[in-house]
Amino acid sequence: MNKLASFVTWLLIAIVGAFSFAALALGRGETVNAVWLVTAALSVYFIAYRFYSKYIAERVLGLDDSRPTPAVRHNDGMDYVPTNKWVLYGHHFAAIAGAGPLVGPVLAAQMGFLPGTLWILAGVVVAGAVQDFIVLFASIRRDGKSLGEMIKIELGPVPGSLALVGVLAIMIIILAVLSLVVVKALTASPWGLFTIAATIPIALLMGVYMRVIRPGRVGEASAIGVVLLLASLYFGRAVAADPSWGPLFTLTGTQLAWALILYGAIAASLPVWLMLAPRDYLSTFLKIGTVVALAIGIYVVAPPLAMPATTRFIDGTGPVFSGALFPFLFITIACGAVSGFHSLISSGTTPKMIERESHARFIGFGGMLAESFVAIMALTAACVLDPGIYFAMNAPAAAIGTTAANAAQVISNWGFTITPDMIEQTAKDIGETTILSRAGGAPTLAVGMAQILAQALGGKAMEAFWYHFAILFEALFILTAVDAGTRVGRFMIQDMLGHVYKPLGDTEFLPANVAGTVLCVGLWGYFLYQGVVDPLGGINTLWQLFGVGNQMLAGIALLLCTSVLVKMKRERYVWVTLVPTAWLLVTTLTAGIQKIFHPDPRIGFLSLANRFSDAAAQGKLLAPAKTIEEMQRVAFNNYLDAVVCGVFVVLVVAMCIYAVKICLQALKQAQPTAHEIPPLMPEGAMA
Amino acid sequence: MKARVRENRVAPAAGGATGGEAIKPRLRDRLDGVRRAYLQVIGIPDYESYLAHMAEKHPTEKVLSRQEFCARAIDRKYGKNGPRCC
Repeated sequence: MNKLASFVTWLLIAIVGAFSFAALALGRGETVNAVWLVTAALSVYFIAYRFYSKYIAERVLGLDDSRPTPAVRHNDGMDYVPTNKWVLYGHHFAAIAGAGPLVGPVLAAQMGFLPGTLWILAGVVVAGAVQDFIVLFASIRRDGKSLGEMIKIELGPVPGSLALVGVLAIMIIILAVLSLVVVKALTASPWGLFTIAATIPIALLMGVYMRVIRPGRVGEASAIGVVLLLASLYFGRAVAADPSWGPLFTLTGTQLAWALILYGAIAASLPVWLMLAPRDYLSTFLKIGTVVALAIGIYVVAPPLAMPATTRFIDGTGPVFSGALFPFLFITIACGAVSGFHSLISSGTTPKMIERESHARFIGFGGMLAESFVAIMALTAACVLDPGIYFAMNAPAAAIGTTAANAAQVISNWGFTITPDMIEQTAKDIGETTILSRAGGAPTLAVGMAQILAQALGGKAMEAFWYHFAILFEALFILTAVDAGTRVGRFMIQDMLGHVYKPLGDTEFLPANVAGTVLCVGLWGYFLYQGVVDPLGGINTLWQLFGVGNQMLAGIALLLCTSVLVKMKRERYVWVTLVPTAWLLVTTLTAGIQKIFHPDPRIGFLSLANRFSDAAAQGKLLAPAKTIEEMQRVAFNNYLDAVVCGVFVVLVVAMCIYAVKICLQALKQAQPTAHEIPPLMPEGAMA
Repeated sequence: MKARVRENRVAPAAGGATGGEAIKPRLRDRLDGVRRAYLQVIGIPDYESYLAHMAEKHPTEKVLSRQEFCARAIDRKYGKNGPRCC
């Protein structure tokens, strides 16, 4: 591009960005349009990509296209294939973007739109995108090795094993919390449950079509699947209204939890082509389509942000999750700002398909920016809602009661004026009986999306349809994640059990498979059930446990990146990874320790556990427990949560010590000590 | 972007197309390119590229049928090495 044209373009982007931020910052006391928020975010992404990622690519990492990537070295036309960078970008984005960036920002909206926005933008540029990019780079230079293998090579075998234990623990919590989101969205919602249930036969049909009827015709099967899906969405309304079918699909939280546990066990045991793969295709299709539709919708409708910039809940007394802005904002919004789980994807299939080293900048850094954009849109959709409605949907029943009148009164007392009629009307508009205490992010996002999309297309009459479409879209890829995650969890458990008793590690041995699956489902099922019966709504506990774990994994991945930079003798640039590492360690260790030891029972696991066990010892009952056994169970669950949280804290501290030791050793060396594949292609390396 | 997608593909049989006929195959190529890009995004490698690779590098080895290729890709993707994101 012409130098002057380039200069003018970037100057314009900078001005638009600055102007958008000015609109956000100066519009105090009056409503700000959501378009400013989205535009400010886009400008940040463009500028960060153009300048910061270029700096990292050229100076810090020294990407070198003369070094063959794993895809080129081992090109076998199947697993290792040099892939077009736009196609691989889509593939990578579809793999990293799940429900995480949709849930966290919605929960964080209780503090207002500003804290979440600032953390998402600063976090992605300084931490998230840097992590994804450098892990991808490190894996490319190590023949596509996984995060665990790289930690083993660069930091030693003990940290490698520790990291694997941490990953398994985070997996279990993720599966539990995602399932909990689905339970919260589908409780007493026959329309929603019918459409989700319908995806099972639709996926089975697609699977058989692709395998038996028209083998290998994935595109055709996907098209058929989408049509059937829309049909189920349409007929769901009639099913829900039907006097005999409606009650059949109206389940309570505990019934749904059991249904999901059973589903997880069966789905993870079926052949992958039958249900998992076809459903994953549908969800990828819907995911990309919905994200694009929402972005266009926000620009077409240009809704004002109803949520104030900050609310009084930054002091830590919020009903959605408890704990002050520091450190809890930074663990509540995990995916979208920085997500440790991405380090597993960036060292999974993507490095085996990348054509040139220089593409890692677009795919690693750029891919994460797109995920961050999804988080910004989720935040926008939540903040477009009337704050009263937002709190009615997200506060637990323990705080606002179970009737619209009671909820309206409590929420109005918090300073967010709302009438019972407004709450009931919103429920009616989206085709549901109630919207109260539907925590977990998905329903709130769905209402926000429904209001935006209905204004853009279809009007008020379509709102119920859009709401259930949004629920379908979220539940679909959560259920896919539950299925796939249970399989991966099973492999990991079998791998560990194999060290204890060899036959248990054999993935072809049926009893060992069954044992692995049951153990995995049992673990996340336990946390799920605990979340469903939790007096504070479950999300308050589980989402924060997940946030701590996920951010700690990011900390571990960034410690690896830091060690890699030092071992490459690029310590001059080590601040690029050291700054986000330090921030993640500070926030997550603070949050982890507060979650365990905080004296406020709404925050600290131990103090809540002690409260219940002390009361139980004196024979007193605390709501919502109805028996002494329930009291003891609440106490036990909170002790358990404290232990899990403690494991995360110990893991990350241990990892930190190992990394410091390795870095100090590497600093003394005159030559690079990183274990990279040598730059020149050795003879006979071609597959 | 579209041009880049096409660049990745095996060269289509464009040599025979002339005059008015040229438009149809080009549109079909483009649709085919979209289909193949979609497959790769959802995790199924390109079968035509695989055939070209085998013909070039391993002409004597037996190639998998489209069905076998697709089945193997699915098993690989959701097998041991498939961590998922949140």
